[in-house]
Amino acid sequence: MAEWLESMQAQFELNFITDNRWRYIVDGLAVTLKVTLFAVILGIAIGVLIAMIRSTYDKNKKEMRPGFGKFALSVLNGICQVYLTVIRGTPVVVQLMIMYYIIFASSNNKVLVAVLAFGINSGAYVAEIVRSGIMSVDGGQFEAGRSLGFNYFQTMRYIIVPQAFKNVLPALANEFIVLLKETSVAGYVALQDLTKAGDIIRSRTFSPFLPLIGIALIYLVMVMFFTWLVGKLERRLRNSER
Amino acid sequence: MNANETLIKVENVQKYYNGGAIKALDGINTEIKKGEVVVVIGPSGSGKSTFLRCLNLLEIPTGGSIYFEDVDITDAKTNINTHRQRMGMVFQHFNLFPHMTILKNMIIAPMKLQKKSQAEATVLAMELLKRVGLEDRANAYPSQLSGGQKQRIAIVRALCMQPEVMLFDEPTSALDPEMVGEVLEVMKQLANENMTMVVVTHEMGFAKEVGSRVMFMADGKQVEEGTPHEIFTSPKSERLQNFLAKVL
Repeated sequence: MAEWLESMQAQFELNFITDNRWRYIVDGLAVTLKVTLFAVILGIAIGVLIAMIRSTYDKNKKEMRPGFGKFALSVLNGICQVYLTVIRGTPVVVQLMIMYYIIFASSNNKVLVAVLAFGINSGAYVAEIVRSGIMSVDGGQFEAGRSLGFNYFQTMRYIIVPQAFKNVLPALANEFIVLLKETSVAGYVALQDLTKAGDIIRSRTFSPFLPLIGIALIYLVMVMFFTWLVGKLERRLRNSER
Repeated sequence: MNANETLIKVENVQKYYNGGAIKALDGINTEIKKGEVVVVIGPSGSGKSTFLRCLNLLEIPTGGSIYFEDVDITDAKTNINTHRQRMGMVFQHFNLFPHMTILKNMIIAPMKLQKKSQAEATVLAMELLKRVGLEDRANAYPSQLSGGQKQRIAIVRALCMQPEVMLFDEPTSALDPEMVGEVLEVMKQLANENMTMVVVTHEMGFAKEVGSRVMFMADGKQVEEGTPHEIFTSPKSERLQNFLAKVL
C-alpha cells in the first residue's frame, strides 16, 4: 500500500508538477469552459428562434390568410427544417472539421470555430426541446392571453414561454451536460481543450493513468455542480406554484 | 354611448369546416345592445360556443361580418388586439396563468396593454378582489384555489381591463355543483351593474332570472330568440320544446 502511494506521488509529480504541466490542465479547462459557455448561449439563441418560427407556423398555418406573411413564414419554416435535418443527421465531429477546414479555412481562431460549430449543433437540439415545451402548454393559456388583448408575441413572451421553459428545464439541462462533454472532441481541430490537455500530458510522460483519470474527474465535478444548480432552480420554479 | 345603442352587430356569420361539409354556424344574425344580458342556450354541438368565440375572433368566421362599436372586426385590416382589450372573456376551464400569483394574473394585462403603473393596476385589482370576497388570496397561486374561486378570479381578471362587454363560455360547466352558485352570484351582480354580457350556459335558472334575451341555437342556426318569459313558457318551435322538455 505504502509502495503504491509512493508511486502515485511520483506519478503525480511527473504528470502535473514537472515542467509546470498542470498549466495544460488549467488552460485546457479555461478553453473548455469558454467554448461551452458561448456555444450554450449561441445554441439557446438559435434554438428559441427556430422553435418560435416552427411553432408559429404549426399553430397558424391553417388560420392565416394567404399573402406575403404566410409565404415568408412557410419559407422560414422550410429553412428551419433543412437546418434541423442536416445538423441532426451528421456527427458533430464532422461538422466541426467542415467548419474548421472548409468554411473557416482562412481563419486560425480555433475557439471561435469551435463555438460556432458546437453552438450551431446544439441549437438544433435546443430548438426541438423548446418547441416541445411550447406545444406542451395548454391551448387555453394561449386563448386566455389573446382574449385579454395581447398580440401573438406578447402572449408568447408573458404567458407561453415562461411555462414552456419550466416544462423543459430538465431536458435543457441534459442538453447542456451533453454539450459540455461533447466539446471534448475539439482536439480534432487541434484546439487544446481539457481533454486535449490530458492527452498531451499523457504523450509526454507515457503515464496515462493520472492525466486521464484527472480530467475525467474534472468533467464529473463540473457536471455534478451543474446538475445541483439546475435542481435548485427547478425547485425554486416549482415552489412558486404551491 | 347611450343605453339601447348597439354594441355588437352580427351579420350572417358562418363558420364552415371542410369547405362547407360541416356547418358549425349557418348564418347568424343578431344585435347585442349595451346593458343587455344575452343568454345563449342549446344542445351540445349546436354551435353556441363557436358563436361566442366568433364574437372576439378566437374563431374566425368563414363568412359574414361582426361589428363591435361600429367597427367591422372581421375585416382583415382591423387590429383585433385593441378591440379584444374591450371584450372580456371567461372560459369553461378558467385558463388562469399558473405561473403567476392571482394579483399578477389580474394586473399583467392592464400594465402591459393599458400602460398602467403597477400601483394603479393593483388598486383596481384589489377592489375587484374585494367584491368577489377573495382579497386575502391575492398572493396565492391558481393551483391553491378551488374551482369556484378560480372562476371568480377569471371573471375579475377580465374585468381589470374594464371591458365594454363580457363573454362567458359555459362558465359553470367545469365546476362541482356546490361551487356553481358562487360564480352565478358574481355574474348576477355584474348584470345588475348593467354590464353587457353574452353568456353561453346550461344553467336555465340563470337564463330565466338574469337574461334580458335568450337565444336558442340548434345545428348552427338560431332557432328562436326572445325574452326568457317567451322562450321558457311559450316556446314556438318543436326543436325548442323538445330541448326544454329534456333540460327542465
